[in-house]
Amino acid sequence: MEGLHIHGAAHAYGDNQVLSKISMVVPGGELVCLLGPSGCGKSTLLRLAAGLEVLQEGSIVIDDVTVATKELHVPPEQRRIGLMFQDYALFPHLNVIDNVSFGLLGMARAKARAIARERLDQVELAHLTEAFPHMLSGGMQQRVALARALAPEPKLLLLDEPFSGLDTNMRASIRQMTLNVLKQSGVATLMVTHDPEEAMFMADRIKILGRGGKILQSGDSHEIYYHPNNEFVARLFGFMNTIKGTVQNAMVQTPFGPVPANGFADGEPAQVLIRPEGIVLSSGGQDGGESSGGIPVEVNSTHLLGHFSVASLKIAADRNGAQEFYVRVHKEFLPELAGRITARIDPEQSFVFADDATVPGEPMLDDLNILSPELKTLLSTGLEPQDKVQKQAEAAE
Amino acid sequence: MSELSKSFEMECEILDRDHQELMQQIDKIAAVIDGNDDGRCAKLTPEMIKFAKQHFTREEALLIKVGYPDVKKHAAHHQNLDHKMETILELAAMADENSLAGEKLKSALKFFLADDIIDADLDFKSFVKDRDI
Ligand SMILES: [Fe+2]
Ligand SMILES: [Fe+2]
Repeated sequence: MEGLHIHGAAHAYGDNQVLSKISMVVPGGELVCLLGPSGCGKSTLLRLAAGLEVLQEGSIVIDDVTVATKELHVPPEQRRIGLMFQDYALFPHLNVIDNVSFGLLGMARAKARAIARERLDQVELAHLTEAFPHMLSGGMQQRVALARALAPEPKLLLLDEPFSGLDTNMRASIRQMTLNVLKQSGVATLMVTHDPEEAMFMADRIKILGRGGKILQSGDSHEIYYHPNNEFVARLFGFMNTIKGTVQNAMVQTPFGPVPANGFADGEPAQVLIRPEGIVLSSGGQDGGESSGGIPVEVNSTHLLGHFSVASLKIAADRNGAQEFYVRVHKEFLPELAGRITARIDPEQSFVFADDATVPGEPMLDDLNILSPELKTLLSTGLEPQDKVQKQAEAAE
Repeated sequence: MSELSKSFEMECEILDRDHQELMQQIDKIAAVIDGNDDGRCAKLTPEMIKFAKQHFTREEALLIKVGYPDVKKHAAHHQNLDHKMETILELAAMADENSLAGEKLKSALKFFLADDIIDADLDFKSFVKDRDI
């Protein structure tokens, strides 16, 4: 089979088990994203596939050739892989075309340059062949790095957080171009990211890695987002409103009404997790939507963030209660002009899991992928901003 | 594809034969999507899914027979593929008319066969391969 096949890969640094029996297949032409928090072992897996680490257990096969087992270690340069990391690592003293043809050693110079020119054309940089890296923007450098990685026609492309060095506006366009180029080339691609949105955008299949290097779920973005099979996976995609309760008559009671208990037995502690867009608001009409099952709510604040708004609210009958819910509403939301407002839960965007009490039910605002960094700070409960947490975790690794 | 890769071989004739058959059915669906073969995804895919489910049953029976200790876990894995199979059938129902559904179906089938079905079985390869089944 074309592509990558890892089976039973385990890896430890001393006593620290970073990967536990990981298996995965990346078929030719497909893109798999490893998504997980810092320290889940996703970069280690990439380094094992690249041959930058020696495999301790399991096997790695690229295009039907076994490249690593406990006894075998094929060096990186013989694995027919392309690598792209976030810092691009272009050679500053070489111009663009020489950077791209660098990996085509042993090939006649004219032929190598012709291939390099073709790849540069694919990434729309054919007009900049003579430029030096310092003359290019971050996005352009990244495109050169992509052209360079693809020039030797690798059997497998390994991408480690390839877009994280780019600013937000550039990231969207580079990501789209990269995806187009990868699909045209038909190469099998394994990409590591900690950004859920990036994984959903790029991947044909997402593999969620949890701490201790275990795969928690595999599926396409729809499956992972709408059918998370555990609490960790559900929370990975951003803030969740959390309601704790006990199962009674196969239902968990919530302020928005009972929710089916998803197979948990009566008497078991359970929690209902609801995405911010999973609380649906209604207004207008005589009863503000109450007749269609909505519960009256009071909106405490609302912030327009462009194409959506974020609001915080409380249940009207429990306005002195502690629990506040966060809601994401498309377009502008003007509760001050709306009169009576009710809320109900969208069953597609709410999930019931066992309540093992390990994750706080309080909103973790730094986790709010729905919010801009400014608003996160504005609404912050004192938690660290995401990138700071990330850096600390990396430093601790 | 067409031949099972070495890294996907179970070295157990019954299972390898089933996996090979699944692969051929999936190859045929992919060829239809690419316009290289006659047939309809809406007909071929439900047949393939039916065969996959029969295979799961055969495989579980075999694992029970040889006393594989984690048979329940593997049966649960098969059951967890229900959702993926539903998605595959939904895509297949559209794939003959909608090229985007066709491309998504091809991708879903590749992962279904290689990642979900065969790779997961390799966990018990060493347990079944030397047994006389
Ligand atoms: Fe099987
Ligand atoms: Fe199986």
